[in-house]
Amino acid sequence: MNNLNLTWHHIRRSPFQSLTAILVMVLCFFSLTFFLIVSDGFSVVLNYFETKPEVTIFLKDGLDRNTIDSIQKDLSSYKSIKEIKYISKEKALTLYQDQNKDNPLLTEMVTSSILPASFEISVSDPKVLEQIASDFSSKKDTVDEIIYQKDIIDSLLNWTKIIRSVGLIIVSTIGTIGFLIIFIIVGMKITNRKDEIRISRLLGASRFYVIKPFLLEGIFYGVLGSLIGSLVCFILAFYFSQRINIFFQPIIFIRSELNIYLIFLLAEIILGIVIGYLASWVGAKRYIKF
Amino acid sequence: MNIVFNSVNKSYGIITALKDIDLSIDSGEFVFIVGPSGAGKSTLLKLILNQTRPSSGQLLVDNIDLSQSKKSEVDKIRKKIGVIFQDYQLIADKSIEENIALALDIVAYPKPDISSRIDSVIKRVKLNHRRFLFPSQLSGGELQRAALARALAVEPKVILADEPTGNLDIQNSWNLIKLLKEINEENHTTIIMTTHNLDIVDSLDKRVLYLKNGQIEKKTKS
Repeated sequence: MNNLNLTWHHIRRSPFQSLTAILVMVLCFFSLTFFLIVSDGFSVVLNYFETKPEVTIFLKDGLDRNTIDSIQKDLSSYKSIKEIKYISKEKALTLYQDQNKDNPLLTEMVTSSILPASFEISVSDPKVLEQIASDFSSKKDTVDEIIYQKDIIDSLLNWTKIIRSVGLIIVSTIGTIGFLIIFIIVGMKITNRKDEIRISRLLGASRFYVIKPFLLEGIFYGVLGSLIGSLVCFILAFYFSQRINIFFQPIIFIRSELNIYLIFLLAEIILGIVIGYLASWVGAKRYIKF
Repeated sequence: MNIVFNSVNKSYGIITALKDIDLSIDSGEFVFIVGPSGAGKSTLLKLILNQTRPSSGQLLVDNIDLSQSKKSEVDKIRKKIGVIFQDYQLIADKSIEENIALALDIVAYPKPDISSRIDSVIKRVKLNHRRFLFPSQLSGGELQRAALARALAVEPKVILADEPTGNLDIQNSWNLIKLLKEINEENHTTIIMTTHNLDIVDSLDKRVLYLKNGQIEKKTKS
């Protein structure tokens, strides 16, 4: 009976223990894949805002044309300006109505008089945004509010950090549980087969010879768990990707490039092998005393 | 493969199992070790198999000092030794064929030849009809023959038989001894056998070591 057959024999002899180990590993890798996809999505969102530097200056009501032209002229004097777009109150209303066309309640009561006029300025150098925001925030007589991506980026960075930290904690916890469960299950299997191991050793089997089937068993749990966990998560992600991506429009939150998911899958299988191998090796070291 | 004990002592805590053993067993010898229970017979075999190490003294097996040997050296020596235990020590959830195949796999017997080797030893111990059965389905005599088949399969240089007739009836005991004698004469395999059965010992003209209280009381040819 070769090692793979022997490993398969061990797995079949205690199907519930094996199933438990596989399910825990599936849960571990499903969580890991979920957080990888979410984290990747947030990276895409961050990248979108970082590479599209824009600032919006909302103007006070009642400014005359000359004042507006003067502001536009001031803005044009900055370096790295790509585009300055003036959004009048009427244009703002049109945009608002367009965005909320499916919800008449939101559009009925709104008139152009309650929406502020604004300038949307895009630049090629994000540092200029801070300069513009700083300069125009002091012009209280003409400027009502300034919004620029630094706030959004800071907020997104904060969220990304939180999600990554929470993900890391959850995945580490589940990973540790997976490690311990494989360790315990391999220990139980070794205890069940201690006579076989002892007899094999007396017949001249090396320590590695008797440990090898258990190492392969741990690796099997790791590979199968990572494969199922990540594939299930990928399938769910693709299934919901359209709805999620509509929510984040125009940003593609869940990417459709297969290469990225193949890299994720490969990395997770390697991680599964490492966890399974280490857990069973520690288990074998702990329980095989002869 | 010769075995040499030089002033070997073995103690388990305050109990002395073997005391000052000086002994040399040459390749191809058939040696009986007899003595009452607790005399140290099984300990002597355990030392040769390196299940336990001498408390003092030197034990050379195939010119390797087992009292100081590395694990890898012990594994190599064990592969050259076939063991027949009194309680058979067959793996319960493997068939007789699989038990023998495991022993052959351990000694890295060429894979294509494993099946024919199993055929050969199983025929030799007359267990053809029991080949695919599990140990729990065999009688005491058949189990002992299965254990012998496993020991023989690896073509050992030494066979250690620890009271192999202890659980057998007279007929099965004689059959086993006859088989061991044949193997010793045909292959010059060293055989070291512990027994209580003095009838068997007396029937063969072989070296006998009498052990008492952990010491060799006398060495004779019966």
